[in-house]
Amino acid sequence: MDTLLGDDILDMIEIKNLGFSYQEDGVALSDVSFNVEKGEWLTILGHNGSGKSTLSKLLVGLLRPSSGTITVDGQVLGEESVYDIRKKIGIVFQNPDNQFVGVTVKDDIAFGLENLQIPRDEMVKRIDEYANRVDMADFLEKEPQALSGGQKQRVAIAGILAMKTDVIIFDEATSMLDPKGRKTILKYIQKLNEEGVTVITITHDMRESVLSDRILVLKNGEVLKIGPTKDILLDKETLESSNLELLLPLEVMHTLEQKNITHPKLKEFLWQLSLNT
Amino acid sequence: MAIKFEHVSFQYKSIDNKGYLALDDVNVVIENTGEFITLIGETGSGKSTLVQHMNALLTPSKGSMNILGVKISSTAKENKDVQFNPIRKQVGLVFQFPEYQLFEETVEKDIMFGPKNFGVSESEAKKRAREAINIVGLDDSYLSRSPFNLSGGEKKRVSIAGILAMEPDILILDEPTSGLDPRGRDALLEVFYQIHTSLNKTVLIITHDMNTVYEYAKRVLVMREGALVYDGDPVKLFSRKNIDNWNLDVPDIIQLKDALESNFHLDMSGTIRNKKALLKRLEEVLS
Amino acid sequence: MKVVIGRYVPGSGFFYSMDPRTKIIALILLMIATFLIDSFALMLGAIGLIVLLMMAGRIGIKRVYLGLRPLMFLLIFTFVFQILFNRQGEILLSRTVYYSFLSLALAVGLVVFWFFTKKFTRFKLFYFVIMVAGLYAIFTEIGNVSPFATGTLAIYEEGLSMAAFIMLRLIIIVTLSTILTITTKPTDLNLGLEHVLKPLKIFRINTEDIAMIISISLRYIPTLLDEANKIMLAQASRGVDFKEGKLKDKVMQIVSLLVPMFIISFKRSDELANAMEARSFTPGATRTRLHQLSWKRLDSVAIGIAFLALSLSIVLRISPWI
Repeated sequence: MDTLLGDDILDMIEIKNLGFSYQEDGVALSDVSFNVEKGEWLTILGHNGSGKSTLSKLLVGLLRPSSGTITVDGQVLGEESVYDIRKKIGIVFQNPDNQFVGVTVKDDIAFGLENLQIPRDEMVKRIDEYANRVDMADFLEKEPQALSGGQKQRVAIAGILAMKTDVIIFDEATSMLDPKGRKTILKYIQKLNEEGVTVITITHDMRESVLSDRILVLKNGEVLKIGPTKDILLDKETLESSNLELLLPLEVMHTLEQKNITHPKLKEFLWQLSLNT
Repeated sequence: MAIKFEHVSFQYKSIDNKGYLALDDVNVVIENTGEFITLIGETGSGKSTLVQHMNALLTPSKGSMNILGVKISSTAKENKDVQFNPIRKQVGLVFQFPEYQLFEETVEKDIMFGPKNFGVSESEAKKRAREAINIVGLDDSYLSRSPFNLSGGEKKRVSIAGILAMEPDILILDEPTSGLDPRGRDALLEVFYQIHTSLNKTVLIITHDMNTVYEYAKRVLVMREGALVYDGDPVKLFSRKNIDNWNLDVPDIIQLKDALESNFHLDMSGTIRNKKALLKRLEEVLS
Repeated sequence: MKVVIGRYVPGSGFFYSMDPRTKIIALILLMIATFLIDSFALMLGAIGLIVLLMMAGRIGIKRVYLGLRPLMFLLIFTFVFQILFNRQGEILLSRTVYYSFLSLALAVGLVVFWFFTKKFTRFKLFYFVIMVAGLYAIFTEIGNVSPFATGTLAIYEEGLSMAAFIMLRLIIIVTLSTILTITTKPTDLNLGLEHVLKPLKIFRINTEDIAMIISISLRYIPTLLDEANKIMLAQASRGVDFKEGKLKDKVMQIVSLLVPMFIISFKRSDELANAMEARSFTPGATRTRLHQLSWKRLDSVAIGIAFLALSLSIVLRISPWI
């Protein structure tokens, strides 16, 4: 019973030595270990093909690891437990069109609830409540064709929240949206996290990582680095070796430091500026 | 003047026959050499509809257009004798998702498909495929691969090569860098810039990335609810008034420049449009 | 191209408040009844009743006529086919048909004239009938100028009545189905169908899965159509001219559409399956449902009437007195 008494109780997700290979394409992930604390916001950064989407699919049991273990809220992910674990972790995928199951917004939010065999009365209550949380209450009867990409993603979020999951993974959930849609979704992610939902965002857009607590950088299927957001955001070497970039104010800060140009308050100013992008 | 739109409007027919005005009285002229244009606007503002007019995939509901000397008007009767295919050869349009066009067994065959449709011989098409794949930054070994076993970025490059091999005067790309990681995006933008400078072609890019607009474009078009609301210099575009009116994102460079100017009273005037210029200026004013 | 049949039209009236199960079952019962009716009087009576029902249920006749329109060709074809080839019963009409240069030239002229002028009139059906009457006059009267061949046009009693019957039956069936589809949302229709098909469970057919498949198809048809259109535009940008080309080119053109369509659809269904599974969907598992059907008194009455109509048509069919 050590795990229940020790520090581990704070871990929502614990991943140990996770490995995965695709039959045709070879190794996608190898020896990945990290943990996600309850209520934390973790960003997983990685280049195209770094294995970040494979990782998200492993987390919700859509793929079976070749090696290693995934523990969610004290429960090891396996053939039997996968159904329990999916009640705890929800995932918003990249393409808004390919995850909208219902014929209307209402039907789509209901989909997960129907699967969990929630009684109808409770379902109706939750649909209203969570549609409201993502400001989609006025769209309940709308069909997906009448919605923008950002609105569809909000419906996806409501559908997952309504299932009362503890963790939501955003797997490049904003990459197919326009700037306006991207900003709204980020706003909701931030709000959810503040309300206590554990959040994992998977992205290669640096601007999406600034508000998170920690960042994990994946490169070619391996964990290159994991650390507090500030440390990683300033780590030019790590980011660039993984096809990523420094945010512009931080790039400036880095260059000035290298050239030994110092200026009072400029450093702190640039840091604050980078948080606002 | 290669493309000239005069009062072009376009209405999509919807189920209830009310229709939906995707283009609203657009007037624009685009040269067939030497332009580097970005086209911006929110989703649904009519950007894609506009470029689909430029290679005559769509024809206006109202108004007329002149594309490389061919006049296209709003009535089927007047367009009866128009040869649409030559227009599409000269104005190459790359769609957002390469999955829309890749279908052949090999990359080479897929790139050859366009030129062959326009009557180019087999051997010439082969030659062009090799050239095009190199222009987009992939080596010859890709030619024999299946287009379906490539990464997202590589597929994009192949789909662009497929249009380049048609040897169009004007190259139009619909959101070519969306979904790519920063390095992939920069590399592809560099490819477009090369096509523009070394082949002296007009390149038009639809994008949501204001950094691209500010850094690369010589000219920017802004669409809003079907209307073309701005056509001109990217530097002048990002004035306070326009940003507020059109709800524009501000390029990182401008944000940083403005912040430094107002908070530290550093002289950031003049044209600073990319990272290099900005860093150089900062070094000057700080040391 | 807009398909009018099968499209839900928002509205009110008692058809809208009926349970979809009622509407589906009543449709089946009334269809059987229609096939049992074998007298003109009854058939016209049935049509009259349907029209009255539609008026009471506030369904525009025009909507249903729009539903019939795409089937007009089929209706006319069966009508003409029956009239010309069913040679039973008394001869009602027999006319000599003259094939002459004049009659052929006039006929071609008339058809061409009709073809190019029909778009200017709002009464297309009426205009078509006039054209047919014109053809009749040309071949039997006007064209009798040094004919090089003659033939006979004969209409038999049985042919005419069969033609009329088949047409009326088709009209009734399409009208009834149109009432069902324009007053029932696709989702409700699907849900009703799922319930009506439930007895199939004894054959180990999972009706819930079928309903899920239909529901997802309904959801994705507009998306796929949109995508097909974009693929066409993308290939047209590479010089594919769908209007022209030799047979060999045609094959290539179709391949250039189908391959991307398949690949995108596979990717889409793969991603959709993942999204569904991640939201705890398991095929065949029990689910609660947001949409529930409620059986009202109206439904009992409607089913009662449909049964009555069916029984009546059976009695009238087999009774020796009528």
